[in-house]
Order: sequence, then structure tokens, then C-alpha cells
Amino acid sequence: MKLRGPIVFLAGVLVALGAGWAGFPRLIYQTRRQPVDFSHQVHAEKAGAKCEDCHAYRADGSFAGVPALDKCSGCHTAAMGSTVAEKNFIDQYVTPQREPEWLVYARQPENVYFSHITHTKRGNLKCEQCHGNQGASNSLPPYQQDRISGYSRDIWGHAGRPAMTMDACVACHRQSHLEHSCLDCHK
Amino acid sequence: MAGAVLTPAPWRLITDTALWSENWPGVPRPARGEIRARFTTCALCPAGCAVRARCVGEQPVLLTGVSGGLCPFGLSAHHLPYHPARLRKGPVAEATAAVAGKAGQGIAVLDLNPGRTASWSYRRAMGAMKGAYLTPQAEPFAYDLSAARTVLSIGTPLLDGWGTPSKVNAARPNFRLIQAEAMESRTAMLAEQWIPIAPGSESAFAKSIPQLEAARELSLVLGEGPEIAEINQRIGAFGKTVFGRSEAVVPETWTREAAAVTAFADVPDHSIAVLLIDETPATSYIPWHRIEQKLVRDNPVVVTFAAHRGGYARHAQFALPTAMYPEVLDDVAPAADAIRPVFRLAAPLVATPTGVVSLAEFVGTLSGVPVANVLRERADAIHHAGQGTLHTYADRQRTAVKELTADAFWKGLNEGGEWTWEDAKPRAAVMNRAEVRPVEPVESPADLPLVAISEPHYAGLVSPLLTKLYQESNLLLAPNRIALHPKDARDAGVVDGGRAMLQTRLGKCAVEVTVDAAVPAGAVQVGSAPGIQDVCGHAARAKVVSV
Repeated sequence: MKLRGPIVFLAGVLVALGAGWAGFPRLIYQTRRQPVDFSHQVHAEKAGAKCEDCHAYRADGSFAGVPALDKCSGCHTAAMGSTVAEKNFIDQYVTPQREPEWLVYARQPENVYFSHITHTKRGNLKCEQCHGNQGASNSLPPYQQDRISGYSRDIWGHAGRPAMTMDACVACHRQSHLEHSCLDCHK
Repeated sequence: MAGAVLTPAPWRLITDTALWSENWPGVPRPARGEIRARFTTCALCPAGCAVRARCVGEQPVLLTGVSGGLCPFGLSAHHLPYHPARLRKGPVAEATAAVAGKAGQGIAVLDLNPGRTASWSYRRAMGAMKGAYLTPQAEPFAYDLSAARTVLSIGTPLLDGWGTPSKVNAARPNFRLIQAEAMESRTAMLAEQWIPIAPGSESAFAKSIPQLEAARELSLVLGEGPEIAEINQRIGAFGKTVFGRSEAVVPETWTREAAAVTAFADVPDHSIAVLLIDETPATSYIPWHRIEQKLVRDNPVVVTFAAHRGGYARHAQFALPTAMYPEVLDDVAPAADAIRPVFRLAAPLVATPTGVVSLAEFVGTLSGVPVANVLRERADAIHHAGQGTLHTYADRQRTAVKELTADAFWKGLNEGGEWTWEDAKPRAAVMNRAEVRPVEPVESPADLPLVAISEPHYAGLVSPLLTKLYQESNLLLAPNRIALHPKDARDAGVVDGGRAMLQTRLGKCAVEVTVDAAVPAGAVQVGSAPGIQDVCGHAARAKVVSV
């Protein structure tokens, strides 16, 4: 009987640990699917596309982000291949000229300004350093959205992917001996 | 609980809640959209600096200069439309009825930023209504620093906001600057010579200039006093460095319709029954007691068109909200160094809010003078004259007006362009008769021991970011502040950062105090808030009372 208290306490701790580590991540994130089953690998290997061919910079150096439908329609005026994903893309988006509502994994909070061109051109960073092997993947991973904050799980980094949190930015800047002020990113 | 704290759950919940709170209603969210540059002209002062606005979608998020910098006011001008002290609505119908009912007894427009196309609309409307068009000065001068070799400035902030920065900077290596001023201002610090003079002795110093040894070398004297024009004439500056201020051509019908320009001081006392004041953007301020002196004694009507309540809205019966830079299409008045005609449009960067009223449209409606399309009419008149060049900021090209169609000229002006006529012959300066100054009653230094040194006027709204700059630095004296020498502060029993009452023979005003050893003993440097200017002009005697 003397051990009953510690056993209950230990059981409680284990339950809480299990819930916190295993249950909580499943609960906090809702999984959403991308509108189109897109393969970076196919575009890179078969079409020979490079990252900046689609994720381009505008003339003033600002980053255009995810390409608009016009960019896709340049090649996909009609179905290229016979996959279901290709047929759906043509039928649902290209033919009716409807922009796909892409879910952006790396979308930063509203109070942050991030310059892609500064990092890639001046800092010589490769896309993979922040975005991982996204450019070589055959399918888009599920978009896991935090139910409370609304942001993507991917900006936190997990399963070996690089993080895109403020701590990660600061750590990288410190490693590169670059100290900046708050207002450089928080406009 | 013990187990939970060893998991990510509570920490993520804290972080997520913080991130979630960033998206609450009312929290400002930066706009998303295509980033592009738009060009305009800053209309906060007659310098009219070229502005490159970085816009996200339709929202300007950063203003910078083109081939040069902007002053702190211009850099933060895109904050102004959202200023918490902004005047957003007013009794338009009541004001219209009150003005219409009394207009026949003597109506006048007081234009505190003359030289714009809107000024011509006021003049035409007053011409049609047999009213008066009033400005702080009847015939402003224009100064050519590029032709000057030795400049004596009596308190003029020549290197700190006076004139067009690009012209002043271009001319600066070629002239020697002597700054006569009570305080070592920023201009005094940058001058070749600073002559410290007693506070309030500017007029006496100016009168002594002809007797100075250096007078023969002077090519230009700058200052505020009425004697300055005469001194410039005596040293032969007229026609060399002093000219009449030039304006771009206007349609011929306007000149026929327009009322004459009258200096405010020349208006007979108690003669104005209805006074309409345009104080956006005001480049000067006339203290209220001087305005009151010109109003009829029996129930005058004063309507001010302002962007905030801090100016004449404190005294006027009606304060009507107006649109301001950068939310309205307007042109910029020529600067003090515009010896040749210039025409610049401040193209709006944000949408004009609803509920605002324009004085030009107000008097246009009252008088029946059409004012809806005046900027285009004036641009067409300039184009028709076929003189000068259009300098477009976006591509940094200069194109002769003759090579442009009227539509292309108008489009260029609207996309950030400046028309100048470099070959124009400068206008000859017209000697003003000395302004009548009110007779100051004898003041006792015993009762009012300090002499006021006033800061240059800036009546517009200031971004909250600049308010912070005022509070945390001594780079600029905040409009509601005074600065005292430590000895005078001790005598008055006030401390740095404390509150006090500034008292003059005209009244008193609550102020905040800065203690600064750079202020001469026996002087009080006063901010440019209209409340302070109402009771304390430059060189006025004053005292500071602890509260």
C-alpha cells in the first residue's frame, strides 16, 4: 500500500508524457491537402526546370513566390501525360482558368519581412538550406496546419527538415557573424 | 502536471497562443500583394522632394527619396492618413449654411500655403464673390544661391529645411555662409562662421549690417524681418540673387477672374465677416490674436479646413476635415529658391477617405466657379505654352515638353514628374512695403525675464514614430516643448522632462520642459505648436512657471 501513491504518480506522468509527445501533435495539427498533386522531381528531371524558373524574382528583385497559373499554362495548355493528377489539374484549373489555392509551407508570420534575393544572391544560400529537399520530392507532403496559430508545421522544422523560426534565423546569422537589428525583419 | 511539463504541449500552447494573438481583430497586418515602386512628390513643404514609394499591392510601406534622401517628416508621411489625431468628419452642411448666410458681409480666404493651383481656385472664387484672397506675404521673394558668394543668414535655417535640398546642396560649395543666430543651430554648426547674437536682437543686427566691414562682400542676406528686403536692395542683390518667386503658367481666363493677392497684415481690422482658412499643408502660422483682430466684432464665421484639431480648429466655429498628402492629388507650391517656374504633382499613394472636404470645391460651389479639373487645365496650359522639360523620376529621363502630347505630359506628371523651365528669365523682385507690425506694449524684463527663440513652423501632423524621436533625442524640439538654460530652469523651479506654464503678455500655454545648456541664458527656445505660437512669437518676452 505504501507504493500506491508513487505508482499512481508515475502512471500519471507516463500518461501525460504519452499524451504530450504522441497525442498532442496529432491533435494540434489538422492535415490539409494541396489542390494539385505536384511533382518537383518530374519538373526538375524531365523538364529540366531549375528552382528559379518557376519561383522567380521580379524585375525589382522581389520574390514572386509560388507561380501563378499563367506560368503553368505556358506548358500545360493541354494534358502532358496521362496521369490522374495531370487530368485533374487541366480540368479543374487550366481549362476554367482558376488559380490553384496552394498552401505555402514556408509562409512566415505577418509581422516578418524576409528578402529571398538578399539570402540567395548576397548570402549565396542554396534553396535547400531552408526548404530541404522539397525541390527533389516526387509529391507534395501533406500541409499540416496548426489549429491555434494557423501556421504550417514545416516552419518549425521536423523529421530532419530545417526550421524557419526566428531562432533558426538568428542562429544562422550568428553562425555567419551577421548581427542585425529587430527592424531588419520586423517591419 | 509533472509529466505534461516534460512534453512540448504546454510550451507549444504558449507559443501558439502568442502567434494566434497576432491575428486578432484590430492588430495591424502588413498588406500582401505585388511589390512595386510608385513615384510622387512630397507635398509636406515647398521643397517638393521626389519620392519613391515601395508599395505592397496598393499600400505604401516605405517612402524614400529619389537621387537623395527625405527628411524624417517625409520618410514617415505614409503614416499620416492613419494618425489618431486625424480630423475625420465635420459639420459640412452647417458650415455651408453659415458661410452662405454671411458671405455678402465680407468673405476672405486665408491661404497658408500659397502658390498652388488650389490658390488660384481660391482667388477665382473670391474674385467672383467680391471677397479677399489673403496670404501671409503678398509678394514672396525667390533666392538664387547658385549666384551667391557670401550669404549672411539671420536665423534662417538655410541648411535645415529651407528651400530645395538638391539646389541648396549643389550651390553650397560655392558660397560662404555666415549665420547670425542666438543659438548654435544645425545651420550655424555647418556655416563657415557663426555670429552669436542676443536673443531677440535680429532686427537690430539686420539694421547694423550696412555699417559692417563685411557688408561689401555680401551677395545675399536672408532673414524674417521687414528690413531684409531693403538691405538686399542696398547691397545690390536684387536682380542677382533676389528675384520674384516664379509660378508656372495658368490658363489666361484664371488671371482675369482672380482676386488680387493681399497680405494678411494689410487687411483692415474688423473687416472680415467670413474667414475660410486652408491650413493643409500650412507652411506658416498666424497667431490667433492677429486673426481675431481682422474679424468683425459681431458674430464672425470662421471655417478652417484642416487635417487635425491642433491648429485653428481650436478657435474656429467650424472645423472641416480635408484630405492630405499622400491621399490627394495636389500640386506643390514653389520653394523659396524657385527663381524659375516649376510644376510638380503630388500623386496620391492611398485612396482619399470619405467625408473629407476640399476648400477649393467648397468655395467653387459657393461662387459657381468650376474647380473640378483645375490641375489638368493648368497642365494643359503649360503644355500648350511648349516651354521647359519634364523630368520623370521613374526612368530619370528629361523630355522636352514639345516632344510630348498633352496626355503624355499629364501622365508623366501623375507618375512622379517635375516640369521645369530652366531657360525662363527670372522675374524681377518687387519691393514690398514694410509689413505693419502690431505695436507691442512695453514689457518689463522683471516680469517676463526670458526672450523667446522660436523653432521653424511645422503645423502638420507628425507620425507617431517621430513623436518617439522627439521624446528620445534632442535632435528636434518637440512642438509642445520649450528648452531652457540650466540656470533659468533652476530659477523657474522646473526640471528636465517636467511640465510648466509658458507665460507671455498674450496668455499662457502648458508646455513640457527640456533643460539644455545650448540655449543661451535669458532665452527660452519654444516649439512650433500652434498653442505656443498663439501666445509666444519669436523675440517675445516670456516667463516659465512651474506647475
